[in-house]
Amino acid sequence: METTAKPSAPEAPIRIPIEPGFFTIPEQLGDSPRLLGSRCDGCGEVFFPRRVVCAKCLATSLADCELGPRGRLYTFTWVHVPMFGGGRSDANGYGVGQIDLDEGPRVQSVLSGERDEFSIGMALELGLETLRRTEAGEDVVIFRFAPAQADA
Amino acid sequence: MTRFRYWQDRSNLELAREAGLAAMADAGVTLGDVDEAWVGYMAPQPMLGVRVMKEFGLTGLPVNHVENASATGLAAFREAVWAVSTGRCRVAMAIGFDKMSEMAARSRGGRGVGRDSIDGVILPAAYFALWAMRRMHERGTKAEHFAKIAAKNWNHGRMNPLADRQSVDEITVEAVLASPMIAEPLTAMMACPVDDGAACVIVAHPDVVRERQPGRARVHVRSSVLRSETYAPGHTFVGPVVGPATMTRDTAHLAYEAAGIGPEDVDLALCHDAFANEELEYYELLGFAEEGGAERLVESGATQLGGSIPFNTDGGLIARGHPGGPTGLAMIHELTLQLRGEAGPRQVADARIGLTHLVGGGSVCTVSLLEREGG
Repeated sequence: METTAKPSAPEAPIRIPIEPGFFTIPEQLGDSPRLLGSRCDGCGEVFFPRRVVCAKCLATSLADCELGPRGRLYTFTWVHVPMFGGGRSDANGYGVGQIDLDEGPRVQSVLSGERDEFSIGMALELGLETLRRTEAGEDVVIFRFAPAQADA
Repeated sequence: MTRFRYWQDRSNLELAREAGLAAMADAGVTLGDVDEAWVGYMAPQPMLGVRVMKEFGLTGLPVNHVENASATGLAAFREAVWAVSTGRCRVAMAIGFDKMSEMAARSRGGRGVGRDSIDGVILPAAYFALWAMRRMHERGTKAEHFAKIAAKNWNHGRMNPLADRQSVDEITVEAVLASPMIAEPLTAMMACPVDDGAACVIVAHPDVVRERQPGRARVHVRSSVLRSETYAPGHTFVGPVVGPATMTRDTAHLAYEAAGIGPEDVDLALCHDAFANEELEYYELLGFAEEGGAERLVESGATQLGGSIPFNTDGGLIARGHPGGPTGLAMIHELTLQLRGEAGPRQVADARIGLTHLVGGGSVCTVSLLEREGG
C-alpha cells in the first residue's frame, strides 16, 4: 500500500495527576507509580497520604517516603449501581477495595479489573488509569490497584 | 417527631416546627422555659438552625449548631444532656431536621464526587459492604444473616406509624435477598431509604420534669458519650471513612462505665443500621454477643421484638428511616416511648434500660444509656 511521508510519531501525551501530592507518575508508560507517604521519625509509623503530625505519637518530625507498588487485598466489594454524583452506570459495576501496602498503610481504592479476578488476601499492584484528556492535550490520571503479575 | 418519609412539599422549617411543638407540648414547656438549644442538621446551609428556632418564638436564648453526619441528632442530644447535668440549663432543647431527598438530588453531577476522585464519595453502601465482605471472609457469615436482620427491622417498622417503610405484608428473608444488589453483598432492602423529617427532645432537670408532668414515668439519662477515632494500624485516611469498628466498642465501654451498668442490664437497643451488616457487628461491639457470636445471636431471634434483647424496635434506620440530623433524636423518641410503656404493639415488656448508638461519617460514634426512673 502506497504511503505518503508520515510526520514523526507524536510524543506520548504528558500525564498529570487528578490531584497533586498523592502519587508519582513514572516516565515510562508501563512502569508502576508510587504513593506519596510519610514515615514518623519518632515511632516509625508509616502513613498514606503525607502528614505533618504523626497520628500515632503526635511527633511533628516526619520524612517523605514513597510507598508501593505492591499490597494485599484486605477487603473489597463490587458496586452494582450508578455511583453518587457521577451519573454514569458501568454495565458490570466496579470494584472498591482496601489494600494493605507492604510498608503498612491501608489504602482505599477503586479496583481495576473484573469481578472474578479478585479475592481477599490476593496480591495487587498499583497502576494508573487515564480519566480524560485536557484541552491542552494532557492525560489526567488517577491511581488504581489491579491483580499483580504472577512473576512480579 | 414527624414521620420520616419523602416530604416533597414540606420545608425544613415546617417539619422542625411540627416536631419541636410536639416535644414541647409533651414536656409541658414553651420556648420561654428553654434555656438553650442545640440544632442539628447536615444540609449545607449556614444559619438555618437559628432561623428554624424563630418558629417557636424569639426569646433571646442561645442557639448552637451541631453537625456530626449521621450522628448529628445524638450529638445535639449529648450537648443538651450535659448542659442540664452540669447545671448550666434547667431546660435544654435538642432539635434535628433534614431533607436527605434534596441533598441526594444535589450531590448528583457535583464536582469531586464519584469514583474518579482521590477523596470522593463512593456510594455509602460500598464502604459498609467492605466491612461485610471482610466479616464473611473471617467468620463465614452468610448474606442470609444480613437479610434476616433487615427483614426484622422492616417488620418492626410495620408496627410504627412514624416509620417511612410500613409494609402491608410481612417481609421475608427471601424478599430481602431477591432485591437488587447495590454493593456486594448488600441488597437494596438491606439499606436505609432516603428520608426527610424532623425530631426534637426536651432535656430538663428532674425537678422541672416532676413539676410539669407529675405522675408520669420519667426517663433518666444515665450516660451520653461521644468519641472520634483512635489511631490504630490499618486506618484509612483517604476516601469515605466510617471508622474502625473498635470505635463503637470504646464508646460503649465509656457509656457503660459512666452509667455503672453493663450490657446485661439493657432491655432494648437502637443502633446505626444504615446497612444491615452493621447491626450484626454492633451486637458484639456493644457487648450483646461475644466476638464471633453475632451470627448465632441473629439465628436465635433474640434481637427481634419478643426476644431477649430487641434491636431497632421502631424499624431502625432501615424502616423508620434516616433523614440525617433528626435520626438520633427519633431514637430518643422511641426509647422514651418504650421506657414509659407507651410503645403500643411494639412495646418491650417491662423495658427499664435502653441504649442508643450512632456512628457518623468522618468518623464519630455516640452511645447513650437511658433508664426509666423508679420501677
